[in-house]
Amino acid sequence: MSQQLAPPDVTVITGAGGWLGTGLVAAFLSGDHEYQRAGRLRLLVRDPGDAVALRAASDRVEVFVGDIGRADTARDLFRGLHHTDAVGSVDVIHTAGIIHPNKMADFDAVNHQGTEHILRAAENAGVRRMVHVSSNSPFGTNADVADTFGHDEPFHPYFGYGRSKMDAELRVQDAVDRGLNVVMVRPPWFYGPHQPARQTTFFTLVRTGRFPVLGGGHQRRSMVFIDNLIEGIVRAELTPTAPGLAWWIADERAYTVSEIVETVGRALTAEGYDVKPNRLKLPNVVGDIAERIDGVFQRVDKYNQQFHVLGEMNKTIAVDIRAAQRDLGYSPDVSLYDGMRRSIQWCREQDIEL
Amino acid sequence: MTATNEWAANHECEVLVIGSGAGGATTAAILAEAGHDVLIIEEGPWVDQGEVVPFSLEQMDRQYRSGGVTVALGVPSIAYTEGRCAGGGTEVNSGLYRRPPEQAIARWQSEYAIDDFDADGLLSICEEVEAELTVQTVPGEHTRASEILRDGAAALGWQHDESPRWMSYPEGGRAVDGKRQSMTRTYLPRAFAAGARMLTEHRLDRIVMSGGSATSAELSTTATGIDQPTTITFKSVFVCGGAIQTPAILQRAGFRHRVGRTLAVHPTVKLAARFDETVNTPDDVPVFQVKEFAPGISFGGSASHPGLVALSLIDNWRDFGATVTAWPELAIYYAAITSQGRGWVQAIPGVRDPIVTYRLTKRDRALLGQGLARLALLMLEAGAGEVYPSFKQAPLVRNRADLAKMTAAFAATQASVMTVHLCSTAPMGENYKRTATDSFGKVHGATNVWVNDAALLPDAPGVNPQASVMAIAIRNARRFADERAG
Amino acid sequence: MRAPSTLSTPMARFADALLAVDLPALPVDPRRQTVSFIDERVQTMPSVPRFGVKAIGIGVDILSKLAGVDRVISLVTKLPIPLLAEYPRLIRSLAFAYIWETWPATQTDGAQ
Repeated sequence: MSQQLAPPDVTVITGAGGWLGTGLVAAFLSGDHEYQRAGRLRLLVRDPGDAVALRAASDRVEVFVGDIGRADTARDLFRGLHHTDAVGSVDVIHTAGIIHPNKMADFDAVNHQGTEHILRAAENAGVRRMVHVSSNSPFGTNADVADTFGHDEPFHPYFGYGRSKMDAELRVQDAVDRGLNVVMVRPPWFYGPHQPARQTTFFTLVRTGRFPVLGGGHQRRSMVFIDNLIEGIVRAELTPTAPGLAWWIADERAYTVSEIVETVGRALTAEGYDVKPNRLKLPNVVGDIAERIDGVFQRVDKYNQQFHVLGEMNKTIAVDIRAAQRDLGYSPDVSLYDGMRRSIQWCREQDIEL
Repeated sequence: MTATNEWAANHECEVLVIGSGAGGATTAAILAEAGHDVLIIEEGPWVDQGEVVPFSLEQMDRQYRSGGVTVALGVPSIAYTEGRCAGGGTEVNSGLYRRPPEQAIARWQSEYAIDDFDADGLLSICEEVEAELTVQTVPGEHTRASEILRDGAAALGWQHDESPRWMSYPEGGRAVDGKRQSMTRTYLPRAFAAGARMLTEHRLDRIVMSGGSATSAELSTTATGIDQPTTITFKSVFVCGGAIQTPAILQRAGFRHRVGRTLAVHPTVKLAARFDETVNTPDDVPVFQVKEFAPGISFGGSASHPGLVALSLIDNWRDFGATVTAWPELAIYYAAITSQGRGWVQAIPGVRDPIVTYRLTKRDRALLGQGLARLALLMLEAGAGEVYPSFKQAPLVRNRADLAKMTAAFAATQASVMTVHLCSTAPMGENYKRTATDSFGKVHGATNVWVNDAALLPDAPGVNPQASVMAIAIRNARRFADERAG
Repeated sequence: MRAPSTLSTPMARFADALLAVDLPALPVDPRRQTVSFIDERVQTMPSVPRFGVKAIGIGVDILSKLAGVDRVISLVTKLPIPLLAEYPRLIRSLAFAYIWETWPATQTDGAQ
């Protein structure tokens, strides 16, 4: 692994109002965080409400409101950041994406076309390095519970989200061929502070003993605590490597679903919650049926979050992080138990009822 | 040589060994060397190594059952092949040698309760086998088709290695100069030297039972001309007909408990890959295997003579057929999986051959797709310009975006699924509910009938099984001899 | 060398017609030799699949006489009917393997 680069003079972050984006901005601005950086942050958010809070956070922050599905949003975002503008070095962290949309067309507009817009704008600006946040979804699920996705895998997209994230990866490769220095990180299911409501539901289901464990819970899931993911992203940004590389960024190992439910239960108990032990155990076929319904919905351009999540629940999605460890020196040190406790504490601090 | 296809009305022996493949030949050698009077019967002919071109249609005609056109019915049906000649499958297979994985040995021992069964014992027999068959890696140059697997795996950082083979090579020989150390060159001559006799081109029709004891065998000759039965009387019989014939023979003799109910195979799917140079070596197969995803998925190379290249393209002949004329630039590769599904072998009264079925599970079908996709990726990384997957409606794959089309279009039910590793139709062990024989191959409920071939393996080992078959057969034959010696 | 078949079995008739469509430039002699090879291989198939193949062969043969062999070929090769679809596939597998092993320089349309 080579010596890391210094953080850039300007960091552009898309999706800054999202779960991951909020975490990144907090880390970069926080005085005592391992990854705090001195340069300016230029942020793109979709919701004007998010902009207010972010602007208030620091005078090093510039906030743009817009939809990356539109090409002019990306152009505006990079205005004044052209390498001839003498702004110094510029890096881009592209986290914007949509995972549970209202309509199927949003997948392509945001995840695929939006990425293309950012790539083109970054290219025009002549940025130093860009990190594209991808997903496990372009690669589908492991066919066997013991299987683990290697560093490099053939595309096998899981429904509409997977297709749009795959198309985004293909556009990234095109941009690499045109000369842009862009790399990718692929986080699976992530968890941690700043989480959206659907993850809070997850805690509630475990606490009340109603989390649907399908087919015995032997299926394996890679997960990544948000601080581990932030470490992976920053290392991908600042470690000089060939463009076009992609790394799985996840916790050290994959967990079985039973282990996840059990660990979250322990974390909740340790945080003073009363956890009901009886779990909702369902046969595998429930997941298969949900997957079919999800597929039928998606074919007629509808998206139903419950069916989608349940349909994925009996699948194994396990990834091998050795390439990130080798190439980037990535070393995820937050364990599932500690990460879950920190998520629960954060929820309590936000007065979120679990 | 003491093998003959000449007809006689009657034979007598102490131990009858039915079948002369990896199980039968080793059984015969061990028992003959321990002083037993052994007679081997073999349905197929004696064909010396070198008499026919390896992997050719002529070889299929002479040394395979039904010319290689055999199939396990199911959705999809799975094409399989069985050797049917002196030496059985060892004469015609790829000659790739893999010790039984210690994981498999431990699993078999614990789930099937096999007595006196451990890795140390089996692996020390493997060492003997390796010396006997001169198991070794290629001393000189590899074939291009073999190097492609190695290079593609290396580019992806995937674990791969060269499978040693039971081959002998001349001084400084290359991969293609190897001579297969099959049973006709090793254990069968050893058996003959110790006094064993062998009848070739004699097919077993029936084992005659009296209570729980087998008393004689009725045979007909498959050599042309004589349509008269042969009767062999014996004290003990070892059924070593392979995983398809052995259960059928047992069923016809009245043994049904866990016989032919748990056929296990390594289902494989394949593709042809085209390179911008000559890569096809018609009469040899690649020796590198990719084990990154083992035991779930393994990759290797297949025989690729022009007939087989054409065969690999027929599922999409209209789109793919034109490439057949470039067969020297094409090679065929496979992705094999360990399957959760099982199959049946069922003898039907009055019908010559048993019916064979196999059911792939949903997970098996998905894993075949994942395996084929990864194999195609490996081919692209190895420099293939075009990849032709063997399933109906498959797209031509030239790049990673095409791979997504391929994975979306794949359905195992539309694929040419085949297998060569058949086992587990009479599993061994003390777990009566799951086994057809005891820990040393003696059929449950019989006094003098043993199984000693691939049928005994409790499940598919996840690697080329010949070494496992030989090691277990030698172990069991020694036990038989020791019990009678002492 | 195999003697050119006289197309005496239902299977041989169908195989000959199918190959004439698939490989229009394949001369008659090698085509008949190929058909003869297919016929022999089917004779040595294991009992139950052999019986099934022959039964389908007879059915297809009768249908061909009624509806015309070209129409039947396009029907059985295009419709994904289980088992029935396996029939032309088996014939093609055996034929193509035989043709390119025996005459490796054969062109895609069968020209030699």
